[in-house]
Amino acid sequence: MNERETGGVPDDALIRTTLAGDDGAFAELVERYKGRAFAVAVGIVGNGDDALDVVQDSFIKAYYKLKEFRFGSNFYTWFYRLLVNQAIDRWRKSARSAEVPFDESWLSEDASPPDAFAYPQTPEDLLRDRELGDALQRALDALPEYHRAVIVLREVDGMAYDEIAKVLGCSVGTVMSRLHYARAKLKESLKAHREG
Amino acid sequence: MEGATMDCRTALEKMARNADGLLPREAEAELSGHLAGCPACAAEDAAISATGAVLRVLTGIRARREAPALDAMWTRVRAGIEESGEARLHPSWIARWAWIPAAVALAILALLFYPAGTDRSPFHPSTFDVAVEDVESEAATVALVDKGEDLPRVIWIIEDAKT
Repeated sequence: MNERETGGVPDDALIRTTLAGDDGAFAELVERYKGRAFAVAVGIVGNGDDALDVVQDSFIKAYYKLKEFRFGSNFYTWFYRLLVNQAIDRWRKSARSAEVPFDESWLSEDASPPDAFAYPQTPEDLLRDRELGDALQRALDALPEYHRAVIVLREVDGMAYDEIAKVLGCSVGTVMSRLHYARAKLKESLKAHREG
Repeated sequence: MEGATMDCRTALEKMARNADGLLPREAEAELSGHLAGCPACAAEDAAISATGAVLRVLTGIRARREAPALDAMWTRVRAGIEESGEARLHPSWIARWAWIPAAVALAILALLFYPAGTDRSPFHPSTFDVAVEDVESEAATVALVDKGEDLPRVIWIIEDAKT
C-alpha cells in the first residue's frame, strides 16, 4: 500500500525528509511497506525468520542508498528491487531445495482433513490441510528463483506486469512467460494433491 | 471436450489470463460458458484460480506468526543502521591493518626477484659478445651497440625519456 492508498505523506516527501536528516521519516516508510515486503520475502525464501532478516537488511540497504533514488519513480518499485535481490541471495545461501519440508510448526495438533474438492481460501482452511501447504511449498521451492519471485510479486503483492518487469529488470514478455510457467507448476501440485 | 462456444485448448489459454483479470468481458463470458459444460476444464480453472489464493493464505499465516517481530521492524532496522554507521565511521582494526600482509608479501616478492648485482643498470645490455649495429624500436629508447677492437663502444640514443 503506498501513500495514494493510505492518504498519508507521499513517499517522495518522506524520502526528502530522510535525506535532510530526519530518520523518523524513514521509520514511516518502514511502517508503510514492512507488511508487503515481508509477504514477498517469505514467499521467496520460504521461511519466516529468514524473511524478517531479508526485510531488515533491505531497509538498511535502502537507507544508505536513498541518495541514489530518482525522484518521480516509485519508491516501492525501487525498494522491491533491493528486496527481491536480497531474498534471492538469502535463498541461495540457505541452499534450500525441493526436498526441504514445509514449515509445519504453525499447524495445530488437532488438524482435521479438509473438505473434499475445495481449495482453501482462508488461513483456517489451510490449517486443516497440512498436506496442501506442504505440496505448494515444495512446488514453490522447486521453481527457479526468478519464476518464484514473479509469481509472488503477482499473486501475493498484486503487482502489475510492468511493475514486476521494472523490479526484476526484464521485459513484460519475460514476466508473462515466467508467470505462466510458475502458475502451471503450482497448479500441477494443487491438482496432484487434490487427485492423489 | 467441447463446451458451449469454445474448445478446451482455447479455454486453457484463456484461464491464465482470466486469473490475472486480463480477459475482456466477452471472452470471460465465453470461457464461463465452456467451463459450465466441461468438468475437466472446470477442475483446471479451479486449480489455476486457487494458486494465487493459496499462496496468499500461506504467506498470510506466516505473517500472522511473525507479527510481533514485524511490529518491531523499525527497531531492528534502526539498530542495523546505527551498527552499519559505526562500522563505516570506525572500521575494525582488522579492516584498518588489512593492507599490511599484502605489503609484506609484495616486499618479499620484490626481494626474491630483483637482480642481485648492484653494479648493473637495467638499461645496459647484458652482453657485448654480439655486435648489434642497428636496433630500432617503436619505443622511445633506441640503443646502438658496437664491439670495437679494444673496448666495446656503446651508443645510447634516448628519445622522450630521461636516463
